[in-house]
Amino acid sequence: MSSEAAAAPKTNGWEPKIVAFCCNWCSYGGADSAGMGRFQQPASARIIRVMCSGRIDPLHVFNAFLEGADAVLVTGCHIGDCHYVNGNDKTKIKYKFLENVVRELGLEKERLQLNWISASEGEKFANFIRDVTEQIKKIGPSPLKPEGVV
Amino acid sequence: MSQDSQTIKTAHQIVMQKGEMYVGWSTKEDVRKRGGSGGLVTSMLAAALEKKLVDAVVVLKKMNEFEAVPIITSDVNEVLNSAGSLHSVPSNFAKLIANRNLKVALPAKGCDVRGIIEQGKRNAINLDNTFIVGLNCGGSMHPVVTREMLEVMYKIKPEDVHGEEIEKGKLIFETKDGKEHAITIDELEEKGYGRRESCRYCTIKIPNNADIACGNWGVTGDLAGKATFVEITSEKGAKLLQNAIDAGYIQVQKPDEKGVAARSKIKGVMEGLGKKWKDKVFVPMDNRLEYFRKELENCIDCGACKAVCPTCSCGDVSKCTEFHFRGDAYRMSMYHLVRFLHLADSCIGCGQCADVCPVDIPLTRLYRRFANPVQEQLKYEPGMDMRKPPFFEAKLEV
Repeated sequence: MSSEAAAAPKTNGWEPKIVAFCCNWCSYGGADSAGMGRFQQPASARIIRVMCSGRIDPLHVFNAFLEGADAVLVTGCHIGDCHYVNGNDKTKIKYKFLENVVRELGLEKERLQLNWISASEGEKFANFIRDVTEQIKKIGPSPLKPEGVV
Repeated sequence: MSQDSQTIKTAHQIVMQKGEMYVGWSTKEDVRKRGGSGGLVTSMLAAALEKKLVDAVVVLKKMNEFEAVPIITSDVNEVLNSAGSLHSVPSNFAKLIANRNLKVALPAKGCDVRGIIEQGKRNAINLDNTFIVGLNCGGSMHPVVTREMLEVMYKIKPEDVHGEEIEKGKLIFETKDGKEHAITIDELEEKGYGRRESCRYCTIKIPNNADIACGNWGVTGDLAGKATFVEITSEKGAKLLQNAIDAGYIQVQKPDEKGVAARSKIKGVMEGLGKKWKDKVFVPMDNRLEYFRKELENCIDCGACKAVCPTCSCGDVSKCTEFHFRGDAYRMSMYHLVRFLHLADSCIGCGQCADVCPVDIPLTRLYRRFANPVQEQLKYEPGMDMRKPPFFEAKLEV
């Protein structure tokens, strides 16, 4: 599987694998309230909880892609609402550099996304996952997916 | 100090200041003869060592026309012996003096200076104790490529070469029988020889980030080829030059206006050429992932590119190496991904990584692909001033 496979998306029954990094205080709560509010969302997201979005090292994102993630989502508290005062300011900087590497590397821009989701925004979280899943289904599996990984 | 040197001092009663420009030359006949452009830099370094302004000086010890090793020396004679220029020794001194806590003076071309300042930001070099003598640089050549070029383009044996010179856009080699062989640099670079690729698209030609910027651009009239144009860019630089004059090692005079204008004209032309090359090398391309995969597929994980990188100060244990395992069946190397990211804001484009790569991966070109957009967008030029690398900022307004 290489660029040919990527050019022919929507293989039979293929579901994208999305890694979503969520901060403990806001977006993880958002994911929680999405469930409590019974908002429908596809089962494509694998949530990884971190204490703060500022903890997400670009290395974690690279690793997710190299292990076979089709998309990686970085989510955190809204700017100004960070539990650790300025953690998400740092996320913004790291994300900027990360974004540059991923774009220059030739990955589609849908594969890496940043979103601020508070604990009460369950619907926003569900919609976000749904949108990203749709986008990824359109562009197909990640070209960085190792052989043998679905 | 003897009575004589006291009179020399009064004859040159100039108090050096930041921003001033001079034209100067060595007072030592021997250095003037061997060194390029009047041997001012060599004499200035020797004077700094002699008068205990510094404890050590970094110079290139010449092995032959194509090879030299950088050494840290405290011997004045060794410094004086090093006079003379070599275009085909692309060394970088930044890593050499890092983590040594030396009081040192060293000659440095643009990328050396940038490397030193980046190391300074990372607390590996104490910039207060480092006297950087910047050298104008139009580019350097790779020794292996130079040898090949001599045989293919010049049709002369590398062993017969006695001297080299760059003049009016021509690269001139002098053989032992006294003949001169000249070919224009444009012609050489069309054929893939000439300057290293990173030098072609470099746009730092006069190192104003150093303490003092020296070079032969702007020396006009009778002095052409026999003197060095000096621009003092910091207090340390003023101290260095004043010390050399006081010690009687060099003589200076004010440059004429024509010279100053010529210097900035050459600078403008060279920078324009660099920008042109930049557009030529970094053309937008499709299917970049395949391109990067193809370029990196020969990587043998030797780590040489990191070891020589003048902006890297991680040491042996670092993020790029600790999370990279050869057993992983990844489609991209984790090592290179992390380095692409870390160098996005700090790559100075010196070309060391591509030079040392044993499997000839054009690493500098790859790193610059990631670095160019970020550095342009953030208006950050690593190694040009003391601004903190944006990646380490707590907050960034872009």
